[in-house]
Amino acid sequence: SPDSATRLLVPVLVLGLGVFTLRAAGQGRSTPATCSPLCRCDEDGGADCSGKGLSTVPTGLSAFTYYLDLSMNNITELPANVFKNLPYLEELRLAGNDLAFIHPEALSGLHQLKVLMLQNNQLKTVPSDALKNLNALQSLRLDANHITVVPEDSFEGLQQLRHLWLDDNSLTEVPVGPLQHQGNLQALTLALNRITHIPDHAFANLSSLVLEYKIILFLLFRDLNFNSLQSFPEAIQTLPKLKELGFHTNSIDTIPEGAFQRNPLLRTIMLRGASMVQDFPSLAGTGNLESLTLTGTKIKAIPEDLCEDLSVLRTLDLSYNEIEELPSFQGCVRLQDITLQHNHIQQIDRDTFQGLTNLRVLDLSRNQIKLIHRDAFLSLSSLTNLCFKFIFQPEFLCCSIVVIFTMSCVVFLPACVCVCVYRSISVPYAYQCCAFVACDGTSSSSSESKEKRKASGDDEEVERIPLVMHCSPSPGAFKPCAHLLGSWM
Amino acid sequence: EVPPSCSSGCESCSEYNGCTKCRPRLFILLERSEIRQTGVCLATCPVGYYGIRNRDVNRCTQCKIENCADCFSRTFCTKCKEGLYSYIGRCYHSCPEGLTTINSTMECVV
Repeated sequence: SPDSATRLLVPVLVLGLGVFTLRAAGQGRSTPATCSPLCRCDEDGGADCSGKGLSTVPTGLSAFTYYLDLSMNNITELPANVFKNLPYLEELRLAGNDLAFIHPEALSGLHQLKVLMLQNNQLKTVPSDALKNLNALQSLRLDANHITVVPEDSFEGLQQLRHLWLDDNSLTEVPVGPLQHQGNLQALTLALNRITHIPDHAFANLSSLVLEYKIILFLLFRDLNFNSLQSFPEAIQTLPKLKELGFHTNSIDTIPEGAFQRNPLLRTIMLRGASMVQDFPSLAGTGNLESLTLTGTKIKAIPEDLCEDLSVLRTLDLSYNEIEELPSFQGCVRLQDITLQHNHIQQIDRDTFQGLTNLRVLDLSRNQIKLIHRDAFLSLSSLTNLCFKFIFQPEFLCCSIVVIFTMSCVVFLPACVCVCVYRSISVPYAYQCCAFVACDGTSSSSSESKEKRKASGDDEEVERIPLVMHCSPSPGAFKPCAHLLGSWM
Repeated sequence: EVPPSCSSGCESCSEYNGCTKCRPRLFILLERSEIRQTGVCLATCPVGYYGIRNRDVNRCTQCKIENCADCFSRTFCTKCKEGLYSYIGRCYHSCPEGLTTINSTMECVV
């Protein structure tokens, strides 16, 4: 009957509608986040619009975009509310544009923004109004702009700021006022500016406000038409949590006694190009030092007791000084990398590097070494790179010289100075392996010399490391070595 | 006109090694494939690298910190790999003893 037919029809209709609705809803949910045709978007909300020649921020991006890369375009200004449709943005990259103006309301609504990259632009001042409400911001890059002014309220409201780049700008002083409320600041670089003086209290507030955190301080003073820094800044002493300190290219002539005494947590000291410094600085109080770089000075001597306090030192770079004699580095048991190139070193004694079983790289290039004790490198069982480049008149304690190509330097090494220090060497080109064909011969001679020594009772209790000479890529079947190095074999 | 083989931001380009000199203030990254190195110019160094600025050349240098995704300097990490906690520039699978874990920011605090 018509009623039963109608009754039958209704459920079908409802069912149909249901299915239809489901599909519609399903589709709505499964519609991929929208993206601008000018960008490449991934499924997770990342949008890469970098290097597209854009002069404005593209529209049509998904509201769920959390990462937006607009670097290397031609955007000269950011108008108000330009990102208001992107409330979930966490990282915004605008590096390498020509940004000269950021509207105070340009970044409004970005309450989840953690990383903001504005480096390599044309900003003359810190856009403090625009930054005001970025409460979640942790990393702010303003390096490589033309900033001369840091307004007092520049970083107000940025309670979560941890990392701030202000290097390569035109600052003439440390922005003490603007930084004083930055309780969580951990890392700050002011390199490549024109700061010629640091007031003693420059970081005082930072040290108290950042009791728990350390500060990395890279101060590089570009001495354009100004004189660069003359004296070691006492301000460093107000940073008990300082762990890494970098100074490059300045005219400091003395580093005062106990300069680092109040920085007990210092791990890295990098003083490059302090060309007027004549005396090795006192490192008293730096028992946690892991890396010491002191280059480009007039230092002639290294203190005998250098290694007494530096038991955790791993990297030592004293290149480009005027050092004539080396103390024993025995106490620095953790040393992995020693660079002494470009000094006036003339002699290597038996105990100079003795006991440094962790040492991997030893660069003694461009010195005037005349005398090397035969056992100078004996206990260096981890050594992989030993560089002697350009030593002119090596009078070694004994016989012929083996040419050794290592990764980056050509080395003249006396055959009987313990070649067995080497384990395996890989070099870029097969012909460089020819040198090791000679060494294979030497390895047996070093075991012979062991026998000889035994007979002569000269065999102290020093463990001889078995030599396994492996060189890759091997010269191969065509034996180029005879042709290349015939006379040396 | 810089040949297409070089990225934007390049000032002098070579056929075999890509960019050999970048525009001022950009970083040069040396990408390696077997024994060939290719120079690329960037305003931001890629993940796992940080930029060292100098007066003559700015270089992307590898982070040397375990489990670090982005770093500020050779020994200070600004962003740890997924699932790891950061504390004063280092990355930890779990916060060191005596520190409190903040899961929202994946950090350890005193």
